[in-house]
Amino acid sequence: MAADLMDKLKILADGAKYDVSCSSSGSSRSNSGGIGSAASCGICHTWTSDGRCVSLLKILMTNACIYDCAYCVNRRSNDTPRVALSPAEVAELTIGFYRRNYIEGLFLSTGVVRSPDYTMELLIQAVRTLREEYRFNGYIHLKLVPGADPLLVQQAGHWADRVSVNLELPTSSSLQLLAPDKSRDAVVQPMRQVNQLITINRAERKQSRKVPRFAPAGQSTQLIVGASNESDHQIVKLSEQLYQRMELKRVYYSAFIPVNQDTRLPARPVAPLKREHRLYQADWLLRYYGFSADELLDEARPNLDSELDPKTGWALRHIELFPVEINRASYEELLRVPGVGVLSAQRIIRARRQGHLGLDDLVRLGVVMKRARYFVTARGRSLEAAALDSSSLRSRLIDKTTGRKPQQLSLDFSSPVDDETRSLITGQL
Amino acid sequence: MTPASYTYDGTLAGLLTLYAYLLAEPAEVERISAVVADQQNLFTAEVSIATDQAAAEEFWQRLTKRLSDNALKLLRRCLLADHPQQELLIYHFLLLEGEQGKKIDGMLAHPWVAQVWKLSQQVAREAHRYLGFVRFQQVQGGLYYAAIRPDHRILLLIGQHFADRFADQQWIIHDQHHGEAILYDAEKKEWLLLPMKLHAQPEATPQETQFQQLWRCYFSTLAIPERTNLKLQQGKVPLKTRSCLTEFTV
Ligand code: SF4
Repeated sequence: MAADLMDKLKILADGAKYDVSCSSSGSSRSNSGGIGSAASCGICHTWTSDGRCVSLLKILMTNACIYDCAYCVNRRSNDTPRVALSPAEVAELTIGFYRRNYIEGLFLSTGVVRSPDYTMELLIQAVRTLREEYRFNGYIHLKLVPGADPLLVQQAGHWADRVSVNLELPTSSSLQLLAPDKSRDAVVQPMRQVNQLITINRAERKQSRKVPRFAPAGQSTQLIVGASNESDHQIVKLSEQLYQRMELKRVYYSAFIPVNQDTRLPARPVAPLKREHRLYQADWLLRYYGFSADELLDEARPNLDSELDPKTGWALRHIELFPVEINRASYEELLRVPGVGVLSAQRIIRARRQGHLGLDDLVRLGVVMKRARYFVTARGRSLEAAALDSSSLRSRLIDKTTGRKPQQLSLDFSSPVDDETRSLITGQL
Repeated sequence: MTPASYTYDGTLAGLLTLYAYLLAEPAEVERISAVVADQQNLFTAEVSIATDQAAAEEFWQRLTKRLSDNALKLLRRCLLADHPQQELLIYHFLLLEGEQGKKIDGMLAHPWVAQVWKLSQQVAREAHRYLGFVRFQQVQGGLYYAAIRPDHRILLLIGQHFADRFADQQWIIHDQHHGEAILYDAEKKEWLLLPMKLHAQPEATPQETQFQQLWRCYFSTLAIPERTNLKLQQGKVPLKTRSCLTEFTV
């Protein structure tokens, strides 16, 4: 191990860093005799200067690629040095980092060399070495290579905690334009297969706990936002389908940042991080707050409001439903109040069993009164004397951060298991 | 009776003795503070309660039987806090529990419960963060040593996680701020908490130096320049934690 490895690490980490899926949660593996465990709530080990959480050694096996996707640094037509790690080197690096508690585990992706099958086999070999030789029980996220044999896909899910294939572009037409070597089918096929295998595995494990787990942390995908011209409505609709039909655990959104000169690509979009942030908020509302995509957006209003978070926006369009009485509202109704998060809604329900709650109590229960004050009453009393009117309310609720540099949402923990982490990410919408 | 100030010897047993004493005849309390024995001042109005190991143990037994799992968890976390008023906050909580019994679990909006909850959240949040912030370095002899400087005394909350994860490696996590450490014995698969002072910097193995360089190199490559946001980073990795983090030191 020498300077050579250092150079390779630099190049291969650089090639993988635009993949945003960083979470290491949703899988729990206990340490059975070897090293490591996967914790069911995400653990971040550090944060980079762009404020993103580091929890995995995220790396490419190789940055050489036979394909030529327009948005990718590793595409064939780019003139960059190409390097590769051997499966043994990947395993050694992972264990060395893991033993020092730098990471939760490995996120292994790759460019495509020779053929999808050959490439997939290399990845599987690295992961097998870790699991079998090092008896590593930590978290492993493995990329599936579009076009790889279904048998290899099955093996991948056998060794990894999570597998993913990136959709990258929301529609087949943009995929055709920007990633001409990949067909929509080659991307969706493994996703569908994994979903089926997970379903079968779940049923088998109900019969017998001895059946080994298949991709226990499920699958995820990534969409690049802003490299093609889809609306937020199209994107959020797509995510909703992915959650409902493919049972994906997470959809990640990555603001398009041009790394190549290419006439097929747009110039750097305006405020791409702000858009990404709003999409994550909308995604959150789909998964934990019981909203549907069509409630948040429709054809007449295809894009998310940059000045208001999507929940507040929804509330202002449905002002007739407010204010809600905090002592009577159902859990589902509470979740829809701006300023009330999942944790505070649960706490309200628990606390009011002991007696009626007043407005002062809400702060202690974690409600963000700055937003909630316009939308609730407690024992019939409100903090606002006058009735609600959505346009004057809008001006009061407008995101104060809008004028400043776009804030970035931190993508640290994905799982709502841990109540402390939850409020960190949601910022109590 | 006018509210009084109480002192104890700074140990857990001392504090529990004091609680047992106070709760036997609930009184209004203005202040509870730890005073190391030889610093006690005979002329202040503070009431000092002598530690009684047996009384403390009996009190703790009773408490663990009475309290719900949830309340016990709150209490444990607050006892490990490092906060100027934690003793008093806990006293109020116990006082209320004496009146209300199990009902206290639902009284989330009561100011005394809310304060204890908030403090316990702070401790829990820091403990969770340190699951990630521990950095082991391999020293001569194969031992893995990590130094941390947390605000609260979180070692007891994170010990089991590391014992499960690094079951086959000999390690120490040293809280340099509070002068205590967890030692893990990979043979016996046991860990224990001990007071500890560091007299010399541990000497890293050559392999260790290499991995540290690889890690720093990896870390600095990861950031995407177009997205730089140092304020966000500072919120997540406060400056005071960085001296113990390999990627922030040279
Ligand atoms: S297949 Fe993957 S690595 Fe290759 S050019 Fe396309 S996106 Fe890049």
